[in-house]
Amino acid sequence: MVMAEGTAVLRQNRPGTKAQYIQQNIRADCSNIDKILEPPEGQDEGVWKYEHLRQFCLELNGLAVKLQSECHSDTCTQMTATEQWIFLCAAHKTPKECPAIDYTRHTLDGAACLLNSNKYFPSRVSIKESSVAKLGSVCCRIYRIFSHAYFHHRQIFDEYENETFLCHRFTKFVMKYNLMSKDNLIVPILEEEVQNSVSGKVKHEGNHIEKTY
Amino acid sequence: MMEERAAAAVAAAASSCRPLGSGAGPGPTGAALVSVPVPGPGPAAKGGGGGGGSPGPTAGPEPLSLPGILHFIQHEWARFEAEKARWEAERAELQAQVAFLQGERKGQENLKTDLVRRIKMLEYALKQERAKYHKLKFGTDLNQGEKKPELSEPVSNGPVESVTLENSPLVWKEGRQLLRQYLEEVGYTDTILDMRSKRVRSLLGRSLELNGAAEPSEGGPRAPPVPGGLSGGESLLVKQIEEQIKRNAAGKDGRERLGGSVLEQIPFLQHCEDDDSDEDDELDGAQHRKQRVKLPSKALAPETEDEDEEDDSEDAISEFDFLGSGEDGEGPHDPRRCATEGAHHELESRRVKLQGILADLRDVDGLPPKVTGPPPSTPQPRPHEGSFGFSSDVFIMDTIGGGEVSLGDLADLTVTNDNDLSCDLSDSKDAFKKTWNPKFTLRSHYDGIRSLAFHHSQSALLTASEDGTLKLWNLQKAVTAKKNAALDVEPIHAFRAHRGPVLAVAMGSHSEYCYSGGADARIHSWKIPDLNMDPYDGYDPSVLSHVLEGHGDAVWGLAFSPASQRLASCSADGSVRIWDPSNSSPTCLCTFSTASDHGTPTSVAFTSTEPAHIVASFRSGDTVLYDLEAGSALLTLDSRGNSGPTQINQVVSHPSQPLTITAHDDRGIRFLDNRTGKLVHSMVAHLDAVTCLAVDPNGVFLMSGSHDCSLRLWSLDNKTCVQEITAHRKKHEEAIHAVACHPSKALIASAGADALAKVFV
Repeated sequence: MVMAEGTAVLRQNRPGTKAQYIQQNIRADCSNIDKILEPPEGQDEGVWKYEHLRQFCLELNGLAVKLQSECHSDTCTQMTATEQWIFLCAAHKTPKECPAIDYTRHTLDGAACLLNSNKYFPSRVSIKESSVAKLGSVCCRIYRIFSHAYFHHRQIFDEYENETFLCHRFTKFVMKYNLMSKDNLIVPILEEEVQNSVSGKVKHEGNHIEKTY
Repeated sequence: MMEERAAAAVAAAASSCRPLGSGAGPGPTGAALVSVPVPGPGPAAKGGGGGGGSPGPTAGPEPLSLPGILHFIQHEWARFEAEKARWEAERAELQAQVAFLQGERKGQENLKTDLVRRIKMLEYALKQERAKYHKLKFGTDLNQGEKKPELSEPVSNGPVESVTLENSPLVWKEGRQLLRQYLEEVGYTDTILDMRSKRVRSLLGRSLELNGAAEPSEGGPRAPPVPGGLSGGESLLVKQIEEQIKRNAAGKDGRERLGGSVLEQIPFLQHCEDDDSDEDDELDGAQHRKQRVKLPSKALAPETEDEDEEDDSEDAISEFDFLGSGEDGEGPHDPRRCATEGAHHELESRRVKLQGILADLRDVDGLPPKVTGPPPSTPQPRPHEGSFGFSSDVFIMDTIGGGEVSLGDLADLTVTNDNDLSCDLSDSKDAFKKTWNPKFTLRSHYDGIRSLAFHHSQSALLTASEDGTLKLWNLQKAVTAKKNAALDVEPIHAFRAHRGPVLAVAMGSHSEYCYSGGADARIHSWKIPDLNMDPYDGYDPSVLSHVLEGHGDAVWGLAFSPASQRLASCSADGSVRIWDPSNSSPTCLCTFSTASDHGTPTSVAFTSTEPAHIVASFRSGDTVLYDLEAGSALLTLDSRGNSGPTQINQVVSHPSQPLTITAHDDRGIRFLDNRTGKLVHSMVAHLDAVTCLAVDPNGVFLMSGSHDCSLRLWSLDNKTCVQEITAHRKKHEEAIHAVACHPSKALIASAGADALAKVFV
């Protein structure tokens, strides 16, 4: 029983259960993205994607907590990344222009409801074909949180990214499993891009994303 | 088909300039798209080119390489072979499974036939006995409405046996011998049988109304003429019914009346009629019938119940469904079952029911004198009853091989003060009558839920999870999900501020504020938003109220005392801190550093009788009472136990008595007196470590949750288990982390490592 251990390891992780397997890999080395994303043998791809998405939403909480302090509804009144797009929050009956912090919270809450709902994901060992499409839309919305943070709250983004490499991992994840169209991946994550970026300037470099198929 | 694929491959090879290694990628997809029979390579080429997703030339006469084509074909073939092999393997596996299941089924059928045979034998024996007894009582009117005290004398089989007019007693004796022998083989002692006889009677009390046929009415008189009154709840009624049984054991034609009158005497069976749903949805119908049939079934059941798997026992029990339906027609049998029913209403696990079968052996064996001796108002049956809750444990442990030890423990137990007959009977019975059924399942967390707190007046609940969030749920806004019995609820608010798992939550006074402690060593106070808010409202930054910093390591336990407006927290840094969480400036009032004396604290609670005291439990197995005004430890309660120090997972305080209850890693629950520090009662409660406790606000029952995935409700009067609910799946050896009772409504909730919280009504 590890209940009252005051250490970071809160429980014994048994490989074989996917969520714990992923978490173990992350804990071991969160920068070793390929290892974390690589499914074990014989793993059903749909389930693997699902579990990873859950893990992303879980970790994105940390970014949301950080954003809460800086991103207020009067400073960021809309959810934007670059000037081109305004993102509407899909958590309402009719899509609404929520302030950025609301968009972030609603998206995360909505993702939690969807990913945990009995209707779309009744089982964690097999994913219905119809529900796989939902994963893609969740990914798009989640990605916008990253892009807003990158372009408007750069410091927070960098801090968090250095700790967790979450955006790198997420980008590689969506590319690997083709969950999003590459045009949407606007956060430049490669090292060269990060060096080139000028603070405050918007960089839109869609075709800099790695082309590994 | 292969030709078409070859054609498509050609087309694909033609259409892409890349080497065929990667071309094989678009190739198969092209081929798949062309699965509709295409007459010739022409359309196939177009289809292949288009479907491949690569820039498709129209009729590219690019150089085709035969090796390339061959390679592609081989590749495809290899793929098919691999798939086929996989399918074969799967099929073989499934066939093996099928064979295994068939074998199991056969075993179960054999079991069933054996039990049926036993049933018949017992029925016959009973008939004979009744006939004899009636003859003895020749001319006596066996109106079952009366309770004649003279019948309370031990009605053993003595007089009956002495009048051996026919062969039947011999047959019956032989049967008895045989059964005894079986029992000895299995290793059950008489004490276990006694306990179980009581158990089965109580369980049968539940099945009485399910019988349908013999039930007369709901409006049975509440005041049975049992001397001493119905105090202490079920145990007296059990006694009473036992007497009835003996009295009427020989009644041949009084059987039906017996059933009816017994029912009338047992008031709370009427309530049980309404509770048709059991803990487990799937077993609804099956369980009812299980109870009906389990009585006559005999010792073979426990013998074969060697596996602990619930599936197996489920199968075995579902076999009895046949017996149930088959025996409906057997008139005398049913009333006899009715007759032996006790007054318990709770549904135990299936294992316990099968034990009841075993217990019945004892009944048939002649209503042993132990049972009949003293008049009902003595606590004599209670020691047996007190161990009912453990009978399932005993049973399991027997099968696991650790049985005798626990039984030894149990045999040493003394049930305290059950002579307190002045408790309000109707209240306790109301609480007991209730069987808790799952109502809501709260799904929204990504990771295990560590702690729960109810709103003090509304049907709302707060959950704290390892995913770093707290969620507020309004149970009145439930959403029906298809045909599930458990409704799905969505949270109305998510509290985010912790970095890392949130380990403890406590509700403030009037549920305006709540406090959460996490692995990041911080305690956050939150203002609880309006329960009718829409989950997708704008973010209200005032919800996050204050941060109480001070601990050096993860905060594992929190407790709030509305009386003194103090928050107590315990942390892995070895200290217990008291805070004044007022809105303006929360401050830490005092710190008890316990690392040196007792180790790391695991849980704190305010003593309800004395608001200036808190009780804290430790990993070392100690429980210590602290005086907040004096700022020092007051008393160390004797919670270590004989078996050495075991980690205490939770400590709670009884709401009205100076009693502290601790949940231990060694599967036990201990009751300690706050004034003397002595152990008042100790019991083995679960099959795995007991992780959490909750006392209902009236102090009537105790809930305990454990890593064995079960939630058990215990009556605090006689420390027996009144209900067991299997809830939550085990995740990496942990199952239930927290349980809670609503302060004013009849709601209980459990939180699991499987990221679900369940609410029962």
